[in-house]
Amino acid sequence: MTVRTQTVASPDLAADGLAFFRWGRIGDTLLVTNDAGDWLRLSEAELADLLAGRVVAGHARFDDLQRKGFLREGLDLDALIARVAQRNRHLRRDAVLHVVSLRARRDGDMVEMNPATIEQVIHFALEGLPQTVAFEFEADDGEPLRAFELLRHAIELARVRNQRAAGKTLRFSVLTNFAALDETRADWLLANDVQIVTSLDGPAALHDAHRAWKPGSRHADVVGWIDALHRRYAERGRDPSQWRVDARLTVSRQTLSQGRALVDEYLAHGLRTLHLRPLDGVRVDPRTWAAIGYELDDYLAFYRQTLDYLIERNRGGADIRERKAAVMLTRMLTSADAGVADMQSPHGAGTAEIAYDVDGRVFPSGEARLVDAAGDPFFVLGHVSELTPEAIARHPTVRAIAAASLLDAQPMCAECWNKPFCGISPVRTFATHGELAGQRPDGAEHREHLAIATHLFELLAGADAELNAILSRWAVADPRLAASLRTAAVAP
Amino acid sequence: MTVSTGQRDIQLGVALGPDHIAFEIDERTVSPDAVYGAAYLFLDRCFVYLSRAESGALRARLTARTAATPQQLEVLASEFTEALVAHATRLKLAEATMRLREYYVAAALRAAAAPPSVDDLLAELESEDLLEDPLEIMVPWEQKHGTKQDESGSK
Repeated sequence: MTVRTQTVASPDLAADGLAFFRWGRIGDTLLVTNDAGDWLRLSEAELADLLAGRVVAGHARFDDLQRKGFLREGLDLDALIARVAQRNRHLRRDAVLHVVSLRARRDGDMVEMNPATIEQVIHFALEGLPQTVAFEFEADDGEPLRAFELLRHAIELARVRNQRAAGKTLRFSVLTNFAALDETRADWLLANDVQIVTSLDGPAALHDAHRAWKPGSRHADVVGWIDALHRRYAERGRDPSQWRVDARLTVSRQTLSQGRALVDEYLAHGLRTLHLRPLDGVRVDPRTWAAIGYELDDYLAFYRQTLDYLIERNRGGADIRERKAAVMLTRMLTSADAGVADMQSPHGAGTAEIAYDVDGRVFPSGEARLVDAAGDPFFVLGHVSELTPEAIARHPTVRAIAAASLLDAQPMCAECWNKPFCGISPVRTFATHGELAGQRPDGAEHREHLAIATHLFELLAGADAELNAILSRWAVADPRLAASLRTAAVAP
Repeated sequence: MTVSTGQRDIQLGVALGPDHIAFEIDERTVSPDAVYGAAYLFLDRCFVYLSRAESGALRARLTARTAATPQQLEVLASEFTEALVAHATRLKLAEATMRLREYYVAAALRAAAAPPSVDDLLAELESEDLLEDPLEIMVPWEQKHGTKQDESGSK
């Protein structure tokens, strides 16, 4: 065995002249970030100057570093507090999403939630403090509209009860694969401001190939309904920037080579948001995974290429964005938060998102309910008839999720430059690793978010005025993002 | 007044084995927390084994999860050394700024959890830090398009 002594020089550090910050390498430059989400790109020499206390009045980066709160000298503490407060405004939990499973698979058969249970769900949802209450209706087979009367009863009951007592802002969305949509139902959904979210996996050949292992309507039916619904929105004079069908997709191995065709397909049907998300191997049976699965590195290459093509189309005048990139850009370019519960620190499970199974059991999130559907009841909080919103917020499982997702308290995350822009789901970590916190270096979500943030900062570094305008437009809070407060919804 | 802690050399004992690289680290120059933090970063690539070498010294052994050549182990050693130095620096900065950070984070969390006042909303608007004004919303109409007289062609 070779043994040697190695001497390493540690950088000169004048810590008492500095405020707290994190740093990391992106390409040839170093990015420094702080708790307010302020950031700057520095060269190696500039970071060395900063650490060593050589950034003083007259230094080329003094003004930037002082203004953004990286230096102790002249630190505007009140302004820093205001920016950190704004960055953590989601803790107020002004909005909560209730994910309601109207139909679920039990012993091979589909069963519906009974009317008494949905009434309990509506009463429970309107009891809480949040001023905005969003309902998302879904089903295990992708078609909650097969329980249309139940859906209508839930929405009408929520409206009436809210008018009489609660006085909250209500939002409704339905995740449908259109299998049970007809003209009458479509008219009712539009007339009642129910946002329609469907599943479109790409061009016809790709979408229809996916139907071999995933239920849902064929491509022609899906795009036929999307186009028809967009015409109806226009006929009703609805603002097209706010009222538009939203689509989720499932990314398979076959999708990875068709990023450009995917974007073109979405644009051809007037869709404005692409929700890219890697497929979880644990949610697919091994034989199917062998045919459609892929490594995360392959997905990340696909993501980068697709994002670049999205930008190319935006440069050509199109208006389409990628969801996670938009959430991160909102945090990078503004002091606001996109309000997406499952990309926040702490994670919003149980506080900004609650899910209900057909039998009335309550879960901290839709993803947590899927863990139960896969056979592990770890996340069950109780029955809707027995719980209160306060009991859920104080539930040990919800508190454990919050603790495991608080990035300031997690090894690696606490020191990571991407901490202000990231958010990790302990529910997803549990589904893939069998524990809430997991080991970050192994975590797929950590690697995905780091890769997205790195690519966005690379784009910002080389951005011309037009690209800056595009990325800034993505960063403006989008009504579509607000309408669905989670990224984890599975394509119906 | 800024007081520099000064540049300080870190001495490491490095041993290259057939499938692993081992470090002996003096706790007087690198704290155990820095060693834990640096070692954690390698969990996806290595099996990490930490032990006490002797009084005041820690031993970190990194065994590659897949077969590695001596050259690859040397690269690993270099990366671990860099991570160790960076982590030690980060921890020193975190310790030195801890009280400041506790103060502003506590104040910010109190403010974040409180219902917004009109002053808060105004301050929020003022603190918005958009990098650019791509739509030129802030540019006066006259500056963007000229005066009405200009538009009509008259002077």
